[in-house]
Amino acid sequence: MTHQLGRVVSQILGRHFGEIVQQVGNDLFMYGSKTIGMIVKTTGLPRTQVIESLRTLLKFDLATFEADATVEYKLNSENILLLIRYPRYLLQMKSKYGSEAEMIVEELLQQASCTATVLLVTVMNKYKDDKEKNLNIVNLKDTFISLATAGYIQQAPVAELKDGSEIPILVPVATIVPDLDVRDLMQAMTSNLADCKDNTYWKVNYDRFHLDFRDDMMIKAITRRIDENAGELMRLMLEQMYLSSSAWAVESSPAAACDLRDLALRVHDRPLLHAHVDHYLKVLEENGASFIRRAGDAGGGQYVVRTKRAAEQLLEALLDHTVTERLGSKAARIFRLIRSKKYIEEEDIQKNAMLPNKECKELTYKLLEEHLISVQPMRKAASAGGSAKAIYLYHVKLYDAAHAARELCLRAAHNVSRVSSATRAAHARLLDKQRRVRSIVHGMRVRGEPQQNIDDVLETLTPPELSAVSGAERRLRALSAAELELDRALFLISCYFAFPR
Amino acid sequence: MSDKSDDAISEKILNAAKNNPKGISAKDVAAAVPELSSAELVAAINKLLQQGLFDLYNQGGSLLYKLKNQNTKTAIKGADNEEKVVFNLIEEAGNKGIWIRDIRHRSNLANTQLTKVLKSLEGKKVIKAVKCVNASKKKVYMLYNLEPDRSISGGAWYQDQDFESEFVDILNRQCLRFLQQRADKIKNNPRGPIVGRTQSFATAAEVQKYITDLGISKVKLEVEDVITILNTLVYDGKAESNVYPDGSKVYRAIESLIPPPGLVQVPCGVCPLVYKCCSTGLITPQDCKYMSAWLDQ
Repeated sequence: MTHQLGRVVSQILGRHFGEIVQQVGNDLFMYGSKTIGMIVKTTGLPRTQVIESLRTLLKFDLATFEADATVEYKLNSENILLLIRYPRYLLQMKSKYGSEAEMIVEELLQQASCTATVLLVTVMNKYKDDKEKNLNIVNLKDTFISLATAGYIQQAPVAELKDGSEIPILVPVATIVPDLDVRDLMQAMTSNLADCKDNTYWKVNYDRFHLDFRDDMMIKAITRRIDENAGELMRLMLEQMYLSSSAWAVESSPAAACDLRDLALRVHDRPLLHAHVDHYLKVLEENGASFIRRAGDAGGGQYVVRTKRAAEQLLEALLDHTVTERLGSKAARIFRLIRSKKYIEEEDIQKNAMLPNKECKELTYKLLEEHLISVQPMRKAASAGGSAKAIYLYHVKLYDAAHAARELCLRAAHNVSRVSSATRAAHARLLDKQRRVRSIVHGMRVRGEPQQNIDDVLETLTPPELSAVSGAERRLRALSAAELELDRALFLISCYFAFPR
Repeated sequence: MSDKSDDAISEKILNAAKNNPKGISAKDVAAAVPELSSAELVAAINKLLQQGLFDLYNQGGSLLYKLKNQNTKTAIKGADNEEKVVFNLIEEAGNKGIWIRDIRHRSNLANTQLTKVLKSLEGKKVIKAVKCVNASKKKVYMLYNLEPDRSISGGAWYQDQDFESEFVDILNRQCLRFLQQRADKIKNNPRGPIVGRTQSFATAAEVQKYITDLGISKVKLEVEDVITILNTLVYDGKAESNVYPDGSKVYRAIESLIPPPGLVQVPCGVCPLVYKCCSTGLITPQDCKYMSAWLDQ
């Protein structure tokens, strides 16, 4: 809950939900938790608008409420940050389950929570006319069920009323994979959605996506470090891990080498992996950035996936990159040297890093200034005379450094989003005009009007206007790409924070 | 006692001493020349000591005679006693050298006299003064023909007490290039990853040979020097090190675990002003020149 987080959250709320929700969000962020009356008082907004905003926030799980004597609302800032991750969720769905799954998840993300019938029928109706997609309600239903089985979507918490209280509390329920009847769905498509009887609500399970992202990061890292076969083996080990231990466990429970061997032999197109499974296991253990560890010899060797260690290693790689880009490769050398030696004196840094005295000192102090390293003075017990020299030991506190990097990421995310909203505001008139021209032209095309008329409409956008619009669009594209990349970095850091210290 | 027999006796004693470079006791001397009485023996040894052929040591209560190095004897010809004392101290210090204050303490000579002695020895090119690398004002003295120790001269990386960072950089790059040539061997190696890993490893000696063959270094680099350079590569995150069963260190070029993260792809990640950037004021994201330059590129 830092100032920077507040800035980003405010920007994101402003972009997705408009100014009023942004104001309410800011107010909630600043004060922690508040009642409606208090929000009305500090923001000066009409009560109906505040209630409306809170309703939106609650619907999308961006705020929570606590019912005591009064109802207090609280902002869920972590979930607000996830709003910029939505495109990545969709991409993941598309690449893993195809475009039908993408459509379902997209619709569900937009609706926040929704019953299966309504969801499927809405998706169906939306793309009914689209010949390319060629949707089929049976396929759609099957995709929905496989998503529910894989845990990408889950049942939304159910509101329950306690005795004698008017305020409901949300109780999470275990997801039961539904058995949807196609005939009911077909019927619902033709009839009015409002009178459908389905009352099980669904929502997207972000954590399941995050597991995918984390696994992907680990596999990619191993692929970069060793090769694709080792990456494949890592994937198998992670799969094995989900069978026997909780997903965010610090270390998985041990998996026997013979099981892994069997799994590896079942993978197609990997002749090298088939031939050298044991060798790959050994190399992965010794040179795989300590992602896995040999835990015992039973059953031909037991291997453990060290998820926490992996998160640390990945974070360290991120920090290294950050230091390299911010302060240069010499500073990165010092940073890594300090990290590998745990505690080190200034003189030893110079000796080991092979850098000139002055430069080395300067870079060390700069690292200190950016909170990437820490210093521990060791004073000798009061000896005679004032000549007792303190020893200064430099070391890296990974937790603190991670916080520094996170702050930097949040700053950058805020700035990017701020610039994009400024760009959008600066070109608002032009962008709006372009949109109108496009819709008019589209309408004319559909009606089949002559090309001459269409050109006339198109020419209402003058060449300088066109170039300004295309420039602005290009900038906005670059900014949103940057935002996605920043979100990846934030995700990596949050993976580290997901484990206990 | 005639001169001739005197010489013969000296010869015998010297031979005995030569056979025992660690020094001989009075008993050994007596055994070497059994025909002499103890008084004659003492006279003979005293003569040799006077000639400066022997050093006298006290070991565990018994006296030990040790043959002096012949060439050092010649070096201080025509020197007076003070010079001899100072010379001996300097000689003892070996290639680590000895600080002038330590000489003064141990020789009990006055400051002015000592400087005079040192000057005269330096003039004779018997000793030399060497500046110490880690304390620029500290001068140490050592014999003229000695190569200063690494802790004094700083090894190959120092030229006249200046650290040669460019030289280190060049070597660093060359070592990396050498390692990278083999790094890909581990990828999809048809003979399995362990063989591939072994092939992608390079021992420090191999790297040293490569560097020497390149001929980029004027000074002769030892394996130790190359290991320091290779260690900087490890700290750069561009290599990892391992130890072979025989104890030799091996190195292998590696890539970072992740591609450059999003943080460093946006200008804010590398911006020196990012901590001064606020929503209002002189430095704001919407007026940021770096940002617009990046977007316009």
